Amino acid sequence: MTRNDLERALAELPFRLLRRLARSTVGPHILRSGKRRMIHAILAVSETNPERIDAAIRTARAEQQAIEAVPAIVPDADAAQKNKPVDLGTFLEGLGVPEPKPFVPDPWQLEALDALLQGDVIVSVPTGSGKTYVAVEATRRAMMEDRTVVYTSPLKALSNTKFTEFKKIFGPESVGILTGDRRDNPQAPILIMTTEILRNLLYDAAGGEIDLRLDTLGLVILDESQFLADPERGVVWEETIIFCPSQARLLLLSASIGNPQELAAWLTSIRPYPCHLVRHQHRSVPLRAGYLHPSGKLTPLFRTVSMPPSPSQAVLHPEAKRLFTQYEEDTLHTRRSG
Amino acid sequence: MPPSIHPVQLISVLRLKSLTPAIIFLTSRRSCDEALQSFGQGGVSISPARREGITAVLEELTVEYPSIQDHPLREIVTTYGVAAHHAGHLPSWKIAVEELMRRGCLDAVFATTTLAAGVDFPARTVVLTQSGVRRDQDFTDLSVAEVGQIAGRAGRRGKDSVGFAIVTPSPYMDLGVLVRGLTGRPEPLDSQFVISYPMVLNLLKAHPVDHIQSILAKSFAQYQLNEQAERLESRHEKIHDKLVSYAPRECSDWLTQWNAYDHATRQAAQKLHARRHVPPEVSERLPYLTPGRLVTFPRFRGVVLRSYRSRGQHRDMVTVLRNGGTVAESAVADITSVGSRCFDFTPAPAFPWANQETLAWLNQQLESLPKQSPAMVMSPVIPEESGDDLVKSLGDLFPCPTCRCRPTCAKEFNAANKLKQEALHNARSVQSLRTGLWHKFQERADTLHELGYLDAGYKLTSDGDWARLIRIDYSLLITELIRAHAFNGVSPPVLAGLMASISYDNDRPSSFPRITAALAALVTVARRMADALAVHDDPPLLRADVGGLAEQWVGDPTITWPQLCRGTSAAEGDVYRILSRTLEYLSQIHSLHATHAELGAVAAQAMDRIRRGVLEELP
Ligand SMILES: Nc1ncnc2c1ncn2[C@@H]1O[C@H](COP(=O)(O)OP(=O)(O)OP(=O)(O)O)[C@@H](O)[C@H]1O
Ligand SMILES: [Mg+2]
Repeated sequence: MTRNDLERALAELPFRLLRRLARSTVGPHILRSGKRRMIHAILAVSETNPERIDAAIRTARAEQQAIEAVPAIVPDADAAQKNKPVDLGTFLEGLGVPEPKPFVPDPWQLEALDALLQGDVIVSVPTGSGKTYVAVEATRRAMMEDRTVVYTSPLKALSNTKFTEFKKIFGPESVGILTGDRRDNPQAPILIMTTEILRNLLYDAAGGEIDLRLDTLGLVILDESQFLADPERGVVWEETIIFCPSQARLLLLSASIGNPQELAAWLTSIRPYPCHLVRHQHRSVPLRAGYLHPSGKLTPLFRTVSMPPSPSQAVLHPEAKRLFTQYEEDTLHTRRSG
Repeated sequence: MPPSIHPVQLISVLRLKSLTPAIIFLTSRRSCDEALQSFGQGGVSISPARREGITAVLEELTVEYPSIQDHPLREIVTTYGVAAHHAGHLPSWKIAVEELMRRGCLDAVFATTTLAAGVDFPARTVVLTQSGVRRDQDFTDLSVAEVGQIAGRAGRRGKDSVGFAIVTPSPYMDLGVLVRGLTGRPEPLDSQFVISYPMVLNLLKAHPVDHIQSILAKSFAQYQLNEQAERLESRHEKIHDKLVSYAPRECSDWLTQWNAYDHATRQAAQKLHARRHVPPEVSERLPYLTPGRLVTFPRFRGVVLRSYRSRGQHRDMVTVLRNGGTVAESAVADITSVGSRCFDFTPAPAFPWANQETLAWLNQQLESLPKQSPAMVMSPVIPEESGDDLVKSLGDLFPCPTCRCRPTCAKEFNAANKLKQEALHNARSVQSLRTGLWHKFQERADTLHELGYLDAGYKLTSDGDWARLIRIDYSLLITELIRAHAFNGVSPPVLAGLMASISYDNDRPSSFPRITAALAALVTVARRMADALAVHDDPPLLRADVGGLAEQWVGDPTITWPQLCRGTSAAEGDVYRILSRTLEYLSQIHSLHATHAELGAVAAQAMDRIRRGVLEELP
């Protein structure tokens, strides 16, 4: 690259990147200067160390492309990404705390709430998406209609967290908890339970015991409902769903169901109203995968910044692949000798 | 190079790259504890301001959970801003760690995969150090769903723009499993529906028996079985269509016809083959080898007791009485000459083919024979039937040999027959898929009838009516013990002890306090009962040592939590879990108070005494 090419390239960089480049090549004092002075200072450094500047510009450009590629998929950037494995700088780019934004429910959350008016709902969306919001809002609605709400989870720890959370939202007097060894405010309109306890209540009611809570039951939330396939406890989820009173709505939440459609079809076949499936695979906070070598070296795990959409499209980053192969050889060696 | 990165170095790399807070998933509780302890040597302490932050949060939580006050790990957590989180800890401590994490006070938490599902415990980064997980005795690969749950902890909505899942290798890590887990879709859920005794009792309490089948039909199990059956049926139809394409034939059921014909031909061919391989000198002898015939072998002489064909090799054999009196099996081919003498005797139908008296007499005859005795003059061998004749003779039985379809049948039989077999198999599978649950139900109900919980019409007896309230594992054992009056006069500590040993299903070895003679006796009774019921229900481990722990906690109200834990090698979290499971079982027993007032009261007392100290502080 000639000096003129370099100057043009620098001038075309977004100011933010230029500043970063100047700071890393010239030093922090340069940040007080304007764009022109910065470019000249960088060019001065490039006389002595042209490769460094060249590489720095390329990294800055790649980062720029990555940033542009995030909101909308630009075909060119995509192609470039495919050809060249992502570098660490790009991989870590964008890390940090986002700007605070007012809370706006996601379309899928509203869709789930709407669908609950018509019948049962299965929400199958990734972890950390905001399934709890759906549970809370649905609970609020049921409360306004004077209906009882049961929230069940497979784990006592999770039940406790939800107990605290729901008490904060709906007031301590409105929320009770029932587990195998604890009962607190058991006549409250919102009841947190383990799934086993709800199953037992349903059996008691079927056996002729009068339970007002079940007569006014409006909503049953089954959180982490992938437990339906748990070898020991799964049957309890099935019993609960089979015996759930027909006037109550079922809301199944999970991030780990491979066949939500089949599950929805089953519910539709045995429940009085059709079951609506809300599903998507978009993570609200994007996930990236890295590889950390025992030496402390960090590299991206895949060639692309973002997670490959399927195992067949997952191509390891050449550096990660090299390091892991080396690791396997090394440990194989020590395993043998040791 | 170390086999895996040192925890202290790991955290400093993560800090350097602003990848904290992070959750580091490790294989075992032990590795979590060791990772945490390693900060004691060489960890970088956090700033005083952050320390104060942690202390303040812990103080705040201490109000609700006093056990946090003197927790032994407090020091490390406040000094280095890292913690461990696993099932060996008390729930209150886990809540404290979760709260510290939520408030952003910690840089890292070392956790086992038990944390993975459901707990609201997110971070910017998760670190995966393994591709497998210990289940019972085995080490199995993490499923896609499990990797998904682990990686899913990364990236907190509103607090992170990006989340990171970082893989760091350890020996025996399979990178492929993690790559699949990170990029794949979770596995489909499959029904695990089982029919338990309490389920049968509770269903029959509420519904007449002729409604049961339609209730079972509502299960996801049945739904999936039906889907499977439908797939089989649609396959069945396709097979049927294919089979039709093999028609038309002369006969209506050509597959059966051809099969029988084919079988017959093959048998005939076999006979032919066997006969062809008999050497002429053998076949020439065969007609003479009647019982009593004198024969000579290279080394001995003998009298034929019977002749037969060996099963495996289809060789012609004789059983002979050798001179000297032993009975031996010899090949006809080995005979050197067939004598003209034939002793007259009555053969017996089984070994040794003649009675002892006869054998002695024959032996005597043998011994008294001259060295050389005249040999038989053989008549020429009868000519064999030819192969063609044999096949032709089948023509009397089957139309096939002359049928015009014969070549087509021969060509297509194998393929078509395979289809037919599959169709039959399918039909049987569909049948068993559709009725399997109901049969299982009947089996359970029959057992309950046999034991007296149900009458002949599958209605609950008075015992069945209370027994249905016990809805935990090993319900049958518990209700049978009650009916056998095993709990008469039982004390709260002993009842708690037995419930602990029934409910604890982990065989992880640890030492526990000694048990009293009363508990030992009750456990013995329970074990005997469990063995007797083993045909109906898998017996529990019934660890008496675990019972000792509950017995001590209930029996001695002055014992403190630290004292109790010092008396066992089990982790605090396990002790807690044992007691809380015991509470669950006791509360089931308590639910019988209407019919079993005394037992219900003892259970209530035991529950009361369990709920103190750490066990009261929490859910
Ligand atoms: N529409 C939204 N906009 C912004 N943040 C949201 C929205 N909905 C939920 N959140 C936030 O997302 C975070 C995660 O939500 P939540 O705990 O409900 O996840 P989840 O779907 O239940 O995940 P998991 O499968 O792990 O249980 C919470 O902090 C919540 O406040
Ligand atoms: Mg959730």
